[in-house]
Amino acid sequence: MTGISGADVRKLVVACDAGMGSSVMLAGQLRRELRTTPVTVEHHPLNAIPADADVVLCQQGLADRASRAAPGAVVVGFRLFLGDPAVSAVVAALKQGGPVTGTVGG
Amino acid sequence: MLVRPLLSPYAVRLAEFAPDRAAAIHRCADVLEDIGAVAPAYRTSMLDRERLMSTYLGECVAIPHGMDSRLVQRDALAVLRLPDGVDWAGSRVTMCVAIAARGDGHIEMLANLAAILLDPPRAAALRSAAAPEDVIRMLGETT
Repeated sequence: MTGISGADVRKLVVACDAGMGSSVMLAGQLRRELRTTPVTVEHHPLNAIPADADVVLCQQGLADRASRAAPGAVVVGFRLFLGDPAVSAVVAALKQGGPVTGTVGG
Repeated sequence: MLVRPLLSPYAVRLAEFAPDRAAAIHRCADVLEDIGAVAPAYRTSMLDRERLMSTYLGECVAIPHGMDSRLVQRDALAVLRLPDGVDWAGSRVTMCVAIAARGDGHIEMLANLAAILLDPPRAAALRSAAAPEDVIRMLGETT
């Protein structure tokens, strides 16, 4: 998938390799930021992304693998765990209902 | 029964020194082992993780951790400040927050860490905290 409206997103997954460190932290941050929205935030290893994930956030280097692992989700890659503009854009879209555009294959 | 906290004063080291990234990770593993959080093989898993992908977070902070949660004996964090700084594959690191976790009990504290680092006055306070208890209090505060 290449894009989805923020208003249609119900599940956001932060995907990673190991699932102990930075993805957990980012998921915690996003859960806080999105607590006023109906969006559920989870973190999972790349090979265990649930089928009902609408949007997947992962480090840029893992984005190709993530989009193969979750073909039904919009995959957004980021570079920084703190203050990445791509992540901020997704948060804004989920809060305001704007479009979320995938960064893979586009 | 003694309930051991996720972050104890003994696991907060305010003035560590490490000549390079590998040495810093070894010091992190030393502390996690010392507090009984991980099996000795966790050290190798931490070094492997770092080679695979850097645990550099931003704002001069890295969060070293292993990849095999079976080597974790109890969930715990360790905070090591490195006042002289360490080269972390091109970035400068002055604080490591080492992670040993099987569950999600540490997620709140990591989310607090991120919020603090994005807030310059609080980040400065964390970097200059004079006592381990101050670091623990800051990371434990829910915002």
